[in-house]
Amino acid sequence: MKIVIVDYGMGNIKSVTSALKYLRVDDILLSNDIVDLKSADKLILPGVGSFAKAMGNIKKLNLDEVLKTIVLEDKKPILGICLGMQLMATASEEDGFTKGLNFITASINKFNIENLKVPHVGFNQVTFHQNSKLYEGLKDQSDFYFTHSFQMQSKQNINQSTCNYGNDFIVSYEIDNIAGVQFHPELSQTNGLKLLENFIKNF
Amino acid sequence: MLRKRIIFTLIYENGFFNQSRNFRLQKVGNLRWLEKNYKFQDIAFSLDELIVLNASKNDKNIADFARILNKLVDDVFIPIAAGGGIRSLGDAKMLFDNGADKIVLNTILHTNKNLVQQLVSKYGSQSIVASIDYKANDDNISIYIKNGTEELDIGLEQYIKDIEDLKVGEVYLNSIDKDGTGFGYEFGAINKISKSINVPLIIAGGAGNEQHLITGLEDTNISAVATANLFNFIGDGLPNARKKILEKNINVASWN
Repeated sequence: MKIVIVDYGMGNIKSVTSALKYLRVDDILLSNDIVDLKSADKLILPGVGSFAKAMGNIKKLNLDEVLKTIVLEDKKPILGICLGMQLMATASEEDGFTKGLNFITASINKFNIENLKVPHVGFNQVTFHQNSKLYEGLKDQSDFYFTHSFQMQSKQNINQSTCNYGNDFIVSYEIDNIAGVQFHPELSQTNGLKLLENFIKNF
Repeated sequence: MLRKRIIFTLIYENGFFNQSRNFRLQKVGNLRWLEKNYKFQDIAFSLDELIVLNASKNDKNIADFARILNKLVDDVFIPIAAGGGIRSLGDAKMLFDNGADKIVLNTILHTNKNLVQQLVSKYGSQSIVASIDYKANDDNISIYIKNGTEELDIGLEQYIKDIEDLKVGEVYLNSIDKDGTGFGYEFGAINKISKSINVPLIIAGGAGNEQHLITGLEDTNISAVATANLFNFIGDGLPNARKKILEKNINVASWN
């Protein structure tokens, strides 16, 4: 199993790598080289930081075009984590308005509720989408670790799972080869390891 | 429902982990000692987060600290915050590269706001924990920087506003008087700010048993409770404390 973590200069790679090693993935590579990305069995799009800056980096490396080919045409499985999950959406209102990769139809908005502490930090319970491949074998309302200031909304059916903090918002989607999770599976103890294992096995 | 968090704080100084009492450090053991007596890979399943602070006073050797951090967090799948002596973008990068998911800032919140803003813009608010050390004297609360050695001439409420303006993600409020005593948290300062603060509040300093943790966790305005007490929670101390907390139906995460 070869998993390539997409490198665009943002994100804590160590914990993702160490979780994949723990799950006995034998070939883990951090790269933005098209040859490496094409040779992967699966991709992980990590990310911490600002949406606009991340998209800037991705465009500079021409990764938006590369990922479009590999994900939309070659149908290679990809898992976006945290900001990586948001980047595959249509657009974000972080720092004004920034277009995303637009692999799924969704928008990224601020938490906009009075007296709500932002960022949303800590373990929170997830309401699973029925027949989800990501949460296979996990109990509905399992806890996952979140840390983010912007949330995903969508009017489309993207097989979303949700969480409530001030309001309901989307914490994961899974359409064909494309999956994303707002929380950090690599920081969510056994629940998160199980989810990563499911991505490796089911996508 | 968003869960409350139980956080363990490790105090590191020049190769050793320490028990701190009122900010005076007592060497307890090195990484090997810690692994033997705490088995962090196991203990981590009783924790929601780990904070590792570098309290080396003279020569804050971030590279050595980062190496220890890297070893410490292997196979620990919870969020790690690290800090102490961050004075440049390079210092922060080194900690992020070696396993930190967040960084903890203290002195530069006052002395180098520009750097704090750069760090927030580069890593995002959610990656920045603002640590505040204080002493409470009746109603008078004094804030300290530089490992508790330099008192600031600014009130706690104003200071919190100032650092919220810098867009930090969380506040770690640590009582120097209660630090390491095991007498329980100092609620004077906590109650002053917990209702008005706009970011998640972590309280630290004084927890000596699970009842102290519970008192903090039951306060609706507190997001997380921290303890740095190596002596009181040694061995099965943390797993047992979490078990008792879960038995009382306190709102903390459980894992399958």
